[in-house]
Amino acid sequence: MFDLINPSRIFHWIEKIINFINSIFFILLIIGLTFALILSPPDYLQGDSVRIMYVHVPAAWIGLASFSSIALLSILNFIFRIKNLNLISKSIAPIGLMFTCLAIITGSLWGQPTWGTWWAWDARITSMVVLVLFYILFILTHKLIIQEDRANKISSIVAIFGFINIPVIKYSVDWWNTLHQPASIKLVGTTTIHTSMLTPLMLMLLVLLLYCALIFLMKYKTEIIRIKKKNIKRI
Amino acid sequence: MMQNFFTMNGYGLFVWLSFSITILTCAVVYYKTYKTLKKHEKDFANELNKLSAQQRKLVLDKSKVASQVLASYNKSI
Repeated sequence: MFDLINPSRIFHWIEKIINFINSIFFILLIIGLTFALILSPPDYLQGDSVRIMYVHVPAAWIGLASFSSIALLSILNFIFRIKNLNLISKSIAPIGLMFTCLAIITGSLWGQPTWGTWWAWDARITSMVVLVLFYILFILTHKLIIQEDRANKISSIVAIFGFINIPVIKYSVDWWNTLHQPASIKLVGTTTIHTSMLTPLMLMLLVLLLYCALIFLMKYKTEIIRIKKKNIKRI
Repeated sequence: MMQNFFTMNGYGLFVWLSFSITILTCAVVYYKTYKTLKKHEKDFANELNKLSAQQRKLVLDKSKVASQVLASYNKSI
């Protein structure tokens, strides 16, 4: 099964997928922005500041999903010892870090007009900052440790430890009395968001996911080329 | 109506700043990632060119990735 993610096997697909995403990305971005900034109505309580949610929420979801994927890949790597999984984790990490930071910044921009403060040491926000620290630690282990096997091992441990923080982030709003409101969109249970607001949210999520796929594929391709270059004489 | 679109009933600064920061960050990261990829492709092509003609042919025959990287690099120059 893991042969399916063999770099030599999928390399030519990467270029094709990158071209495909490039061809549809701007159209979807314009549609997403039109819905988020023009067509969706203001919220009855939050007013127009609700539009910030159309970037804040997808960014936070991507930040969490990226770290969960890295942790899962690290566990699989510990069991099956597949070098390619490290390449995938390494390519996902900067994307996850970027979106977690964006979630914090846009959250802060939403907090000022809504809560009256840029920042609060609230359980959800603090646990998101902890996630940023784990991302930085993961990326730094790859940057600072020259020996690749050692770097992979340590970064995998960081990812697995960091994974403990994911349920803390998710349930922080239920476990503690926080300033941050509970989730309006639930995988299990009733979603308490109107379709007129759910549509731009999902469109922006799609746009940002496509962007993530684009960056991931370019980074993954770079990693494959870097390794092939190192081993060029052995080919 | 147009003015309302920009001011967003007083929330304009926060809304536009959120979207601008997100789009700008995404654009910068895209540009940097693209540049790095192209730099690695170029380095790889240079390494290939350093090999003798026979070695280069052997590498290109044996490695699909090598031939695809070279093709992609040649297309971009």
